[in-house]
Amino acid sequence: ADKISLIPQDFFAELCEQIIQHLNHKIPGINTAELCQRIQTSGIEINAGDLAKIANIFSFLFSTAARNNLSTEELVITLGNAVSTLPKHALQVIRHVWNEQGKSISVSEDARNRASVGQFVDMKWKLGVAMSSDTCRSLRFPYVAVTLSVADPSGQVTDKSFEMSIPQFKNFFRQFKEMAAVLETV
Amino acid sequence: EGSKLLSGLLSGIAQTTYYGNADITEELLRGQLYPEAAPEEFRALRAKMGGLLQSIASADMDLNQLEAFLTAQTKKQGGITSDQAAVIAKFWKNHRVKIHESLISQSRWDNVLKNMNWRVDLKSQSRHVDQINTPVAIVEMELGRNGKESEFLCLEFDEAKVSQMLKKLSEIEESMTVL
Repeated sequence: ADKISLIPQDFFAELCEQIIQHLNHKIPGINTAELCQRIQTSGIEINAGDLAKIANIFSFLFSTAARNNLSTEELVITLGNAVSTLPKHALQVIRHVWNEQGKSISVSEDARNRASVGQFVDMKWKLGVAMSSDTCRSLRFPYVAVTLSVADPSGQVTDKSFEMSIPQFKNFFRQFKEMAAVLETV
Repeated sequence: EGSKLLSGLLSGIAQTTYYGNADITEELLRGQLYPEAAPEEFRALRAKMGGLLQSIASADMDLNQLEAFLTAQTKKQGGITSDQAAVIAKFWKNHRVKIHESLISQSRWDNVLKNMNWRVDLKSQSRHVDQINTPVAIVEMELGRNGKESEFLCLEFDEAKVSQMLKKLSEIEESMTVL
């Protein structure tokens, strides 16, 4: 709770907004890393791990409240003792967000099946050539390096990086073309 | 005869240095190829040949470079004979690609895409009514590093995401024309 009080009101509101949007499947994930960077830039000392934990807590709170069709006041009661430890501005945001959007959250049916599957969010790439190494002065090896941004079921966005040789890349490309063809015909 | 033995020696050196076969020890090689040679004599021969092979592999020499290099070695004091040069040349021609690949592989210590599988599912049960009967691609990627266990990444792509991916992959392919 003390970490929550570190977050300025507008950033906290933005976080809650993202959480609601994620619960409504409007966005694939909550980009806590990016939000954390912006909060840090404004001079607040909070780390991405703490922000992620806070996001999880409120995601769970809002989805439970949605499932049980809670009104704003009932939601506040659910917070129970935590209410007194939450900063006033945070409580204000929660009330406001829930008043505006609480009813629109659709209830999740069966999230457990998808537990280990992430959602593709975005991809960054670069084409490189490894020139030399300690064991070989003339490598001249071209490769493709990619970073996939992936949202896990809870909405957390993480980056996964890996490299491919040119033949591996060509195969990768071909597989996606096949996928597109199949998706189209289904 | 000498050529066969030298060829065997070069193979043995390649096994340890480039193909990661730790079983081929110096003792084993000497015993199998030059049992009559004194240990120090054999060690010197092995070091000399290993050094030559290393120079050739490190520069990934083509035939012209190789010829120039080996010719220079035959003219040196304590260099090699032209017979030995011929054996080394033949060995390099046969093993160049494999040795180069091995050196490349040694330098790739980051995550590498090892394998990829996919299937298309129809979402029959969904959180959102409008998502029922939408096809999604489920892709499983195996990522691995040298000497570590693979990590499996499982991702979901709908048609739009596949398009997004294809667009990026096209960009990559276009940029490859400069290679």
